[in-house]
Amino acid sequence: MTNKKISALTKKRYSSEKRFKAYCIAALALAMAILFTLLSSITLNSLPAFTQTHITTDVYLDKNLLDPNNTNDLEAILREGPWRSLAKSSLREMVPGVNDRKEKRELYGLVSVIAGDSIKYYVKENPNDIGKKVQINIPSSDDIDLLTKGLIDRNLPEENRTVSNLQLKWLDQFIYEKRVSKRFAWKLFNHGDSREAEVAGLKGAIAGTLLTMFVTLIISFPIGVMTAVYLEEIAPKNRMTDFIEVNINNLAAVPSIVFGLLGLAVFIGYFGMPRSAPLVGGIVLALMTLPVIIIATRASLASIPPSIREAAYGVGASQLQVINHHVLPLAIPGILTGTIIGIARAAGETAPLLMIGMMAFIVDTPHKITDKATVMPAQIYMWANNPERSFESLTSAAILILLIILITMNALAIYLRKKYERKW
Amino acid sequence: MRENGKMKNDYKVKTENITVDYGEKRALHGINLNISSNEVTSLIGPSGCGKSTFIRCINRMNDLIDGCKVNGKILIDNEDINNQNMDVVELRAKVGMVFQKPNPFPKSIFDNVAYGPRIHGTVKNKEELENMVRKSLKRAGLWNEVHDRLDASGLSLSGGQQQRLCIARAIAVNPDILLMDEPCSALDPIATAVIEELINELKERYTIMIVTHSMQQAARLSQKTAYFHLGEMIEFGDTSSIFTNPKHEMTEAYISGKIG
Repeated sequence: MTNKKISALTKKRYSSEKRFKAYCIAALALAMAILFTLLSSITLNSLPAFTQTHITTDVYLDKNLLDPNNTNDLEAILREGPWRSLAKSSLREMVPGVNDRKEKRELYGLVSVIAGDSIKYYVKENPNDIGKKVQINIPSSDDIDLLTKGLIDRNLPEENRTVSNLQLKWLDQFIYEKRVSKRFAWKLFNHGDSREAEVAGLKGAIAGTLLTMFVTLIISFPIGVMTAVYLEEIAPKNRMTDFIEVNINNLAAVPSIVFGLLGLAVFIGYFGMPRSAPLVGGIVLALMTLPVIIIATRASLASIPPSIREAAYGVGASQLQVINHHVLPLAIPGILTGTIIGIARAAGETAPLLMIGMMAFIVDTPHKITDKATVMPAQIYMWANNPERSFESLTSAAILILLIILITMNALAIYLRKKYERKW
Repeated sequence: MRENGKMKNDYKVKTENITVDYGEKRALHGINLNISSNEVTSLIGPSGCGKSTFIRCINRMNDLIDGCKVNGKILIDNEDINNQNMDVVELRAKVGMVFQKPNPFPKSIFDNVAYGPRIHGTVKNKEELENMVRKSLKRAGLWNEVHDRLDASGLSLSGGQQQRLCIARAIAVNPDILLMDEPCSALDPIATAVIEELINELKERYTIMIVTHSMQQAARLSQKTAYFHLGEMIEFGDTSSIFTNPKHEMTEAYISGKIG
């Protein structure tokens, strides 16, 4: 009798276990599917941004034009050369018979507005080519770029597309002459921001992010670790430390924009620190990261078995020696993991930086922590707001690069944890 | 350094009216116990009777426990260890401790033993340190087993070896007194036998206090035995008389297996 009862119950138990397992697998599959969709859509959207259409242009680097006074001074030539008009005249040479003002403008519209700079850069790298006829790869305008990538439909009626019939005719001629090529868009990494999609890059934002993270790290890591060591190892357990602990835990839950307001009011308003600077951004993000580091460090310290502390005290180590020789080295993997994850979170933060003016159009690459700068997430936000279609793929590319940076940081955290992890 | 000039009757450790409180709860009710040099003293009694708490008073390990208060007088070589002038670091160098669970540092065997001499600065150079490590490992009976792998992690040893490593670590700082808190309770009988033999040898040099749950171990090892019950010391005397002719009925009940 009883056996039958038990076996009936066992069956029920097994089937409920199976169901539970199925739910868990379904949840996991759903999470993976969402992640996969997100990553693949970002990657697919971003692909066009990693290449850039170039038009190989014949340029005659006329010495009389570039250096009319025969100074042979390269710097003066670079500074004063008529680069823009040289680019324009070179285009006219390749497409004879364009005289009408409107037609001319359409012709110049084939290439980027910084076509002159491409020629200048070529001369800077190859000064001996002055006086020769050379071929220079000039980036196309963003509309031509979109067209060659198939993102603008050439079969649309002329009034519905941003590339005119005349431009199409010239472009087809260039393609026939094998002048049109797609190259890796290095400008993504060696150009700052720009209003023109074909030259807009992330160099400034990446440098800004690195500088900001540097400030965040050097402020939040030592303060966070020391606070945690004091609270966990040294402070007496009483109401005061309980109170502090509750407050630190609450601080971790404060909306990040509040830290931005604090930064604006205190660091910029009261201390007069520069606006839009990685210095202030870093301090604000450090305040945001502090509770994360403190909590992670405390958890890591608490996980060190008390037997290690007893052993060290037992042979006569002082408290400082116990902490420095035994507890901290054992806790380092956990501390580093917490720190890197905290910093990675800060690297993806936009809201607090909005308040201190780091959400700004800044072309120059910052070199010091007091220079004006922007950061990756802010750059993504600003590009996403641009109306030109080319910025669509640029935004995705920037997101992808930010994700790669963050994933690398997290992977580093996992690696450090595995490497220094000890068992006892 | 070790003091041999003392008179034989002078006790190494004298305790007067020790009470220990964990917050509201009193764990020891006025213990008076005197320990002679170069003897093994066993503390026996049922779980929770306060024997571990008592030996942790001797090197002030109880200081580390929040809310633990120790009152009473503890004299080591006639010096009050709770005196303000007594440095707890020096005290613990003089009173070594071996714990219930082997707890080597997650470092090499060499560094485990060398740690004490290094932090106390008792060795001047590398050579002296190496001598000290060798001497301590030999005294702990571990040298022959590990001399060719001093760089290996202390955690790579077996449980019994780890415990002997902990003993070597404790004696590397040249203590006078060794406190052992159930040093064999986590070990198998063979490892236990090795440690017991070692304790027998060590009493030539050190005054040893050992907490044990095994009455056979107490009988085999110690010259003096103290029986604790619920925070009180019921009986203290020569091991032989306690085990053959206990004066107190509770002691008799415990050693004959009726309580505990």
